[in-house]
Amino acid sequence: MKRLQIGIESTKLANGLSVVVAPDTTAPVVTVGVYYKIGFRLEPQGRSGFAHLFEHMMFQGSANAPKMQHIKLVNSSGGMLNGSTSYDVTNYYEAVPSNALERVLWLEADRMRALKVDDENLKNQRDVVKEEVRVNVMNQPYGGFPWLDMPPVAFRNWANAHNFYGDFSDLDAADLADVQAFFKTYYVPNNAVLLMLGDVKAEEGIALAKKYFGEIPAGAAPPFADPSEPEQTEERRGNVEEKFGTLPALAIGYVIPKRRTADWCAMALLDQALHGGRAGRMYRELVLEKQIAVEAGGGIDDLFGYNGPTHMTTRILHKPEYSSDATLQAFDAVIREVRENGISADELEQLKVKWRSDYFATLEGGRGGYMPKYGLMHLLACFTLFDNEPQLVNTILDGFLAVSREEIQAAARKYLQNEKRAIVFRTPVKASAPSSADAKEAA
Amino acid sequence: MATRAVEVANGVPGLAPERAVTWPKRTKARLSNGLEVILAEAHSIPKFHGELFFRSGDAAASHRAPGLAEMTATVARTGTTKRASRQIEEDLRRIGADLSSGAGADTSAISFSGLSEFAEPLLDLVNELAREASFPESEFERERRQKLEEIRLERTQPGFLASERLRKVLFGAHPYAQVSPSEAQVAAYKREDLRAVYREFYTPENGLLLLVGDFDSSEMLKMAENVFGKWTGKKPEAPAAAAPAGPRGRRVYLVHVPGAVQTQILAGCHAITRKHPDWVKLGLTNSLYGGAFNSRLVMNIREDKGYTYSPRSSVSPLRQYGYFSVSAAVRNDVVAASLTEIFYEMDKLRSLPVPDPELADAQNYLSGVFSMGLATQDGLLSQLSTVALNELPDDYLETYRQKVRALTPQDLLETARKYLDSTNMQIVVVGDRAKIEEQAALFGELEIYDAQGARL
Repeated sequence: MKRLQIGIESTKLANGLSVVVAPDTTAPVVTVGVYYKIGFRLEPQGRSGFAHLFEHMMFQGSANAPKMQHIKLVNSSGGMLNGSTSYDVTNYYEAVPSNALERVLWLEADRMRALKVDDENLKNQRDVVKEEVRVNVMNQPYGGFPWLDMPPVAFRNWANAHNFYGDFSDLDAADLADVQAFFKTYYVPNNAVLLMLGDVKAEEGIALAKKYFGEIPAGAAPPFADPSEPEQTEERRGNVEEKFGTLPALAIGYVIPKRRTADWCAMALLDQALHGGRAGRMYRELVLEKQIAVEAGGGIDDLFGYNGPTHMTTRILHKPEYSSDATLQAFDAVIREVRENGISADELEQLKVKWRSDYFATLEGGRGGYMPKYGLMHLLACFTLFDNEPQLVNTILDGFLAVSREEIQAAARKYLQNEKRAIVFRTPVKASAPSSADAKEAA
Repeated sequence: MATRAVEVANGVPGLAPERAVTWPKRTKARLSNGLEVILAEAHSIPKFHGELFFRSGDAAASHRAPGLAEMTATVARTGTTKRASRQIEEDLRRIGADLSSGAGADTSAISFSGLSEFAEPLLDLVNELAREASFPESEFERERRQKLEEIRLERTQPGFLASERLRKVLFGAHPYAQVSPSEAQVAAYKREDLRAVYREFYTPENGLLLLVGDFDSSEMLKMAENVFGKWTGKKPEAPAAAAPAGPRGRRVYLVHVPGAVQTQILAGCHAITRKHPDWVKLGLTNSLYGGAFNSRLVMNIREDKGYTYSPRSSVSPLRQYGYFSVSAAVRNDVVAASLTEIFYEMDKLRSLPVPDPELADAQNYLSGVFSMGLATQDGLLSQLSTVALNELPDDYLETYRQKVRALTPQDLLETARKYLDSTNMQIVVVGDRAKIEEQAALFGELEIYDAQGARL
């Protein structure tokens, strides 16, 4: 069995900024990322969608690089840039020819030091974000299903249950004072990690990090609200109307163990047994064998990057001639089978080979074909921010490859319980759907 | 038409000297049976990526039925004379592999990736799918039903409705006009049609095998000869289709989606294929216009005016014809304003030479991003397949950046005048008629359709 050893150098600057360098001279390209340990889960109450709106504001101008300059300077150096907001982290990243490394570090440092934005920038990006929500959610069939539909049904703590893209009234209410306060609270070097991957030497990367980021003052340790949920003791159900699509849909989410606890590796492999592509049990049973569903997939969204209550979610679009109840029964049969009989030794062996192969692909993988090493960047960032141990990237695989059949069955029995799950029915308003009796049962 | 002066940054570090970009050596060979093979080593991870292409796709099958090549590729992976569907999926997982099959307008392909230590069993399976697919009746019926649901779903997606209408308008009676089959056409597919397409298209003389990854090229080539060498088959004759006439004059096609809370704009005109000598020029012109984040269109209608989240322009090179298009999903009340800016930026590029610094920025962008294909196995595979399928010169990757850097403002002015054909753009808007009809009608004679394609 071939292994993959990623060379990593890491340090922490005096201001608390973590720095990770992973040199690789395959191509004269370097990927730079800055991750802040704040996502939409812990954004301020009354300001749903703010973490994401704020992410847009980070491209709107900083002390020495006014509006348009971040984008212009990266593109004109031959590179690409973007950012994204997720539950517990927000990232900003660039992939550039390595001769532009210093320029990119200067830009990231400039916006870590001070944002320089005005009301006009905020109004502009509020409009852009609303069109983003329309194009991805409000004007798309099954838009936001289930990632936006599930939280209010499944969770009771506002942190986990609110609209992460934001209610438009909350987006409208956000002002510049909110922007500066959020920046001051969470965008401090001691709440961030800087990553450089690719064509950069370790000592050079660390020296440049000191040069550009070393003088940024540390801030107070950010306050983090408690995201924990009260113990769930009953199945939860909800209904959402589907405006455009004609197929009835449902999504089932089970709360999974905290990351890096004893059951975590077994849960991850169980997830693959259920949702691992066409060989996975959900697709095989619901789409290929019973032919009830047109789509059946899903799983754990970001195994390495969550830091609060999270689901393994199955998303099913089914044929209109099957009722939601019949579909749910077919789903339940898959769950029952794995709870009662576990998985075979042969299936586990297959899962482990595939896991190893997928892990390598994650480490190498880009994003959109043109953001090399995005996957490695994400793992290193999460292992640094949540575990303070970037070297985990070289050892974490062992835990998954050591999982036993007994552990997988135990995880199925412990976590795949009806009273620990939530179900969202997305019901088409258009004719071809059967009238659903489920609406009457909905909580 | 930016309303604010653009400020410049203070104290930006300059660029260090550029590092050389070295593309890996390609091994090109033809197996004894005529199958063309291209290999490149990339040792970043202990895996490899491959793609077995056939140079015939939906366009070449359209005289039988639209979408038939895609359906053939879909069903081909569901059973062989040796393995049933479930066996295929489990065997793939057993060797840590991913595999998909599909077809576009011009090609059919089996794409795969897996651990290098299991290269041989993966190639064996690919060979089996390419030569011994059995098209089980039950799998065919299931996939056909699946396809029917998929095409119903497509008709609820604004992006699909826009591209479907644009392709119809641009390509008329040519097979490129139809991007997806109708329900009736799918219902009429026969298993025997699929088998006929499979026999005709899936032959070594029609094929191209690309392999990129962690292997030794000479050993991998031997393995390919062992696995694929005994396969025989001729190149199919390509059916001729009359050239589509590029539509003249601006017209507007409104696809009515009741209740839409946003309008999808897509406008396009005929352009060129990748083989055309103007390709690199048009690539750079497109990048300046709307192909990059830093482009004029994005800065205008997103960063200045906030009309849209994701405006972009692109050149779509089908094998025989290419087209230029620009798209944006915008607020309903700014459809006319957005189209005005879309045409303003197009006409500006057609009227005024691009200032030198802006040209240099765009040249750096395009040449920098091009080299990123080198950093991953699948990125490299995709670059190599572009070169091979379009029969571009062997040194295309090595000389691309020079060609981009050699272009002048005059080249771009001429290119914009030729291909950003603003007076003959065909405009598609997908949205709620009541909200956008008057705005759309300002830009040309209007035709209105429903989401099923019926004229209203």
